[in-house]
Amino acid sequence: MKMIKNPFVRKKETPSYLTENVSEDLIRLENLVKIYDTGAIKVLGLKKINLTIKRGEFVAIMGQSGSGKSTLMNILGCLDRPSLGHYYLDGVDTAELTPNELSDIRNRKIGFVFQSFNLISRTSALKNVEIPMIYAHRPKKERRERALQLLEKVGLGKRFEHMPNELSGGQRQRVAIARALANEPPLILADEPTGNLDTASSIEIMEIFSELHREGATVVVVTHEEDIAAFTHRIIRFQDGKVISDEPNPNPTVTGHENHMEGLYRARENGKEN
Amino acid sequence: MLFENMSMAFHAIKANKMRAFLTMLGIIIGIGSVISIVSIGDTLRSMFTDIYKDVGLTQAYIGIGYWIEDVHQSDYFNLDDLDRMKEVFGDEIAYIDSGASASSKVQAGRINMDFDFTGIDYNYIDVQPVTILSGRYLNEGDILGRKKNVVIEEESAVKLFGTADAVGKTFRTTIYGYTDEYNIVGVYRKEMSPFMKLMMGGSSDRGTALIPYTILTWPNDYFYYCHVFAKEGIDLQNFFDRLTAYIAKIKGRQPEDYSQTTAISEMGSVDSVMGGISAAVGGIAAISLLVGGIGIMNIMLVSVTERTREIGIRKALGARTRDVLIQFLTESALMSACGGALGVALAVSLVSLGGMAFGIPVVIKPSVVILAVSFSAVVGIFFGLYPASKAAKADPIEALRYE
Ligand SMILES: Nc1ncnc2c1ncn2[C@@H]1O[C@H](COP(=O)(O)OP(=O)(O)O)[C@@H](O)[C@H]1O
Ligand SMILES: [Mg+2]
Repeated sequence: MKMIKNPFVRKKETPSYLTENVSEDLIRLENLVKIYDTGAIKVLGLKKINLTIKRGEFVAIMGQSGSGKSTLMNILGCLDRPSLGHYYLDGVDTAELTPNELSDIRNRKIGFVFQSFNLISRTSALKNVEIPMIYAHRPKKERRERALQLLEKVGLGKRFEHMPNELSGGQRQRVAIARALANEPPLILADEPTGNLDTASSIEIMEIFSELHREGATVVVVTHEEDIAAFTHRIIRFQDGKVISDEPNPNPTVTGHENHMEGLYRARENGKEN
Repeated sequence: MLFENMSMAFHAIKANKMRAFLTMLGIIIGIGSVISIVSIGDTLRSMFTDIYKDVGLTQAYIGIGYWIEDVHQSDYFNLDDLDRMKEVFGDEIAYIDSGASASSKVQAGRINMDFDFTGIDYNYIDVQPVTILSGRYLNEGDILGRKKNVVIEEESAVKLFGTADAVGKTFRTTIYGYTDEYNIVGVYRKEMSPFMKLMMGGSSDRGTALIPYTILTWPNDYFYYCHVFAKEGIDLQNFFDRLTAYIAKIKGRQPEDYSQTTAISEMGSVDSVMGGISAAVGGIAAISLLVGGIGIMNIMLVSVTERTREIGIRKALGARTRDVLIQFLTESALMSACGGALGVALAVSLVSLGGMAFGIPVVIKPSVVILAVSFSAVVGIFFGLYPASKAAKADPIEALRYE
């Protein structure tokens, strides 16, 4: 009997670009250049970046506005392509992938957290978290269970039915984080995740990232606040589309289980006095 | 996934109810008019089929053409002609008579009433079934003996005698100038379709009765028509043509000198009239479906633009080109199918209201409804293709930057 291919069922075997290669370098950038061609003038967003991020690292990317942080994050997130150079994600050269293959990469390997949350409006927290799993063709029941688990994990277990406009900024960002974790991606990217949040919410969000890092995820966070970067273990500074420093953070902020909020507020105040 | 798409499409339409409804109008009108006209056609067809079933679908009247100028007495029929036809076409003729009828005033006691008499042979009941309520039908003796016996219709009996129990009673009437006393030998009831009742509605103050056809052919025994019922299941037109040719032969005429009036040709003319109306309405429907489809394309383009950011988010989360394409196609198909369903609802209510007003049971075929709704979904898919592919091809980062 000849098998007729159902166009609505995706192939079962995982394509090679999606297999976990367990290469030690999760991210490797070689002479990465991004040129924005706005017609009249060409803007150099990134100028020959060479950078390696290992599996399990917790990295902050810092720099002034316009220094190229978002440009880099969009490329790392496979939302945008470099103009020149190479970006190897888990050993795969992303330049060789088609738009649909990049969709799969974003779906399985990357969890992206945006500054403006980017939740889908008029869609419940639960449904928002389910979206990446829908595109991964995971069964409905499993999707729902996992989405509930993830919302529980970010402290929104009771608010799964809320619409985005019924949630505070911090809560929305936690939904976005839950959504980023849906398909257990090895890489979590966050572009100024606390940029729109108050201090208390910012700290909660960074605690979640610290926790994810402890669980083994590779986390890259863009921020221009030192006390946010202080949570990470490595701080890369950008200026004019170039890396100007790349140093480990020997004493990352660790939140205790008691009174940590108080301590952190103090840390933030001290930071501002400097 | 299909369910997800349906629910997303449903929510997207629900979020813009009024806009969606206005967009659907073209489809609603298009599908509504198609369903209306098809249902009206089906209703009329079933009406005529019922009427002709009551009247007898296998019957024909054959007589010398009205266009013939030099008509001789020999061109008419006599009782011997009918006997010869019965002999020659015994396998095909179910019933034959002179097709004669008469109308005249009837008097019983102090009651006067107009009556229509149908001249029949004793086996007319085989081709035009009636229920004998009391007494008997006309028999061969009545016909051959030209007996002044009649079978009266139930309601006519009630009007004339004040009771349906009229067997044995008599009335006086004048047929072809001869006044006589007629005996009632039976009372019958004719079951009629609602359409037939509707058509007969006006003449209910007249009486009807069956009378030996030999009385109506008397005294000169020449008559204009030969009224024949063919047996069921034969090729009617072919048989009527051969019968006409035979008649022409025994009368020394050409077949085209005789006219044929058949129930089947009357049915055919209903179909051709309906065909013309359907074509005209079909054209209007096609145009409104086209306009409706363009409306859907337009609103889908608006929707895709409005939701550029959502498309960007979905792509960022792993939606492939096809996922976005199907999402928007489902939406336009659903919107169009909803329009189709509303159009069907509109047509069904209009046609049913019309049917109620005229007292006609309407015919609305489920197959037509399913076809119409599926077709409107196809219209939605066709006109949604361009907007949906525009959405599907969107670049994730550009879409996310869209304000
Ligand atoms: N879509 C774009 N078109 C043109 N120039 C852009 C675009 N996006 C960013 N740039 C330019 O690239 C540089 C880096 O921007 P960006 O990566 O957004 O900086 P950051 O996120 O660090 O504030 C800036 O000079 C900015 O103007
Ligand atoms: Mg930025």
